[in-house]
Amino acid sequence: MTPDDGHQPASDHLPVVYRELKRLAAAYMRRERPGQTLQATALVHEAYIRLANAGAPWTDERHFVGIAARSMRQILIERARARGAQKRWAGLNRVSLSDSLAVAADPESMLPALDDALTRLEKIDPEQARIVELRFFAGFSIEEAADAMNMSPATLKRRWSLARAWLHRELSEPSA
Amino acid sequence: MTPDQQQRVRDLFEAALDREEPGARQWLEQAAADDPAVRDEVLSLLDHHSRAGKFLVQSVDQALPELFSDLIAGEDEAFAPGTTIGTYTIERELGRGGMGRVYLASDSRLGRRVALKALAPHLVSDPRQRERLKREAQVAAGLTHPGICTVYALEEIDGSLYIATEFVDGRTLRDEIQSGRRPSPPELLRTARELSAALAAAHAASVVHRDLKPENVMRAADGRLKILDFGLARVDRPDRAPASFVSVPGAVFGTPAYMAPEQINGEPVDARADVFALGVLLYEYASGAHPFDAPNPLAMAARVLNGDVAPLSSRGVKAGALIDQVVARCLRKAPADRYPSAIEVADAFGREPTPPPSPSRHRTWWRIHQVVILALYIGGVTTAWLIKSSVETPVTLGLFLALSAASTLGCVLRGHLMFTERVKPRRFARERHNTGKPLLGVDLTIAVLMLGAAFAIAGRSAVAAAVTIGLGLGPGIATLFLEPSTTDEAFPDDHAGD
Repeated sequence: MTPDDGHQPASDHLPVVYRELKRLAAAYMRRERPGQTLQATALVHEAYIRLANAGAPWTDERHFVGIAARSMRQILIERARARGAQKRWAGLNRVSLSDSLAVAADPESMLPALDDALTRLEKIDPEQARIVELRFFAGFSIEEAADAMNMSPATLKRRWSLARAWLHRELSEPSA
Repeated sequence: MTPDQQQRVRDLFEAALDREEPGARQWLEQAAADDPAVRDEVLSLLDHHSRAGKFLVQSVDQALPELFSDLIAGEDEAFAPGTTIGTYTIERELGRGGMGRVYLASDSRLGRRVALKALAPHLVSDPRQRERLKREAQVAAGLTHPGICTVYALEEIDGSLYIATEFVDGRTLRDEIQSGRRPSPPELLRTARELSAALAAAHAASVVHRDLKPENVMRAADGRLKILDFGLARVDRPDRAPASFVSVPGAVFGTPAYMAPEQINGEPVDARADVFALGVLLYEYASGAHPFDAPNPLAMAARVLNGDVAPLSSRGVKAGALIDQVVARCLRKAPADRYPSAIEVADAFGREPTPPPSPSRHRTWWRIHQVVILALYIGGVTTAWLIKSSVETPVTLGLFLALSAASTLGCVLRGHLMFTERVKPRRFARERHNTGKPLLGVDLTIAVLMLGAAFAIAGRSAVAAAVTIGLGLGPGIATLFLEPSTTDEAFPDDHAGD
């Protein structure tokens, strides 16, 4: 299943979700819950409840969650790129992840490279890209992601492994 | 690869995952025997699967809390001007950093302006981290030096942490470096001295900065430099397990541009890491070029660890031998080869500019002059005592007491000058300036008192009166006419206070 089936393209909802996620996060910070870290997954779920109550144009949580995960990816990559542009030394797009290196650069500066790789993966297998968005960008557990993708946790886990191996290769071996 | 092949790769990969390791490969060779391309692809992916470690396992909010909180700390979250937080009223936002937003605010308790740092929630949500942050802010608050931005208070207001510091109005050293204007040699030396002295004050108090960089140094409106964020740098890099993003031990966060080799290697750091950063900073300030310039952080880290640094002179910087040598020593790879702390760096920068001004014969004359005047004081007091003994009147007693007092004061001042000249030559010019007027007053007072004493004894003994006048005129003439010229000869360079 892709979250977009029978609906408008996800990107049309992005501004709404983007605004809601930020608004929510700001409210979250004002409420100040000491000792509690803000989690991406909590943010996504809370945004869904609020937008669903406000009569948002999606019918089920799965659909929303797909959009939210995608907007989280977009927001974070955007932010990482913006910050990278400010930082003189973080402006690289491709970074080698060679195991032999004892040193690795700022993981944040690898986000753009990950985003590029993810876009390539999307063309081969959109489903795998969705899983990466849910797991990595929205912070969903195996079970939550499996539920959102409408597949068994065991299947999702295997497919997640495949996506990670594929991305690891993309980021370790600068493609020609 | 066709979609069908892709499908097969996926299925074979997933099937292989369920099998035990040695058998899986054999099984795969058979299962994909008909299509070597598919087989090789699956093998490659399995290889990366085994090497991926914790790659992507932590989600982005866990792996990059700083980025995440930066995301959620969106524009709508900033405090609007006029907002009151405790006793602080926000005037405007000054900037944003990894630690949170910084505001210009006024403190109604003391009626002063402060820079108020609202610490990002991810920094303070963990109680242990929160405690450490408080401790470090307390230590930083104990630092008082004109070259260090003063930490006024750590405030806990409605569950959030705020750090109120001195508000430094000016521009950063990064702005100066980027302006393209290179400092003149005296400017460079002044900057080097100011920075090393400020850092030395912190090191003397056992506070290490850990994140010294041009962005953390402000030039205030009056031209003085101030180092910001002392002792707070560590909270930027939480002590948590390295992020999952890289499956490599010793992963490093942040820009390696100002990190010492041991910092990049994840080893413990001390004041010598600050010394290294100071070296990088001064090198960049002097030349406009980074000593380990490289196209990306990895290459830069490699250069920090192994690369040689081109001497400043080879970059066309006429900084002088002193700066060249000190900066080069700051940039040594092994911490033990660097200066032990900024205290020694400040010493190295401080000694040279006032080269011990030729300890010449002229100085010896100045010293002799002082000793002669001291002898005249003693002679004067002795004479006054003799006069008082032979002519017992309230006037002679008063003269004796006044002369004793004035001579004691004169001895103290001249003794102090001689001490400073020998032991603390760098402070001599200032001390000479400070003592100049009192000494003139003392010497003239002594001269007048001695003339008075001469009158008192004149009726008894003309010889005694003449001696007394002589002893009195000595210090008077010396202080008015002789001393200025001997001193000028002895200390031609000291016109600081004149």
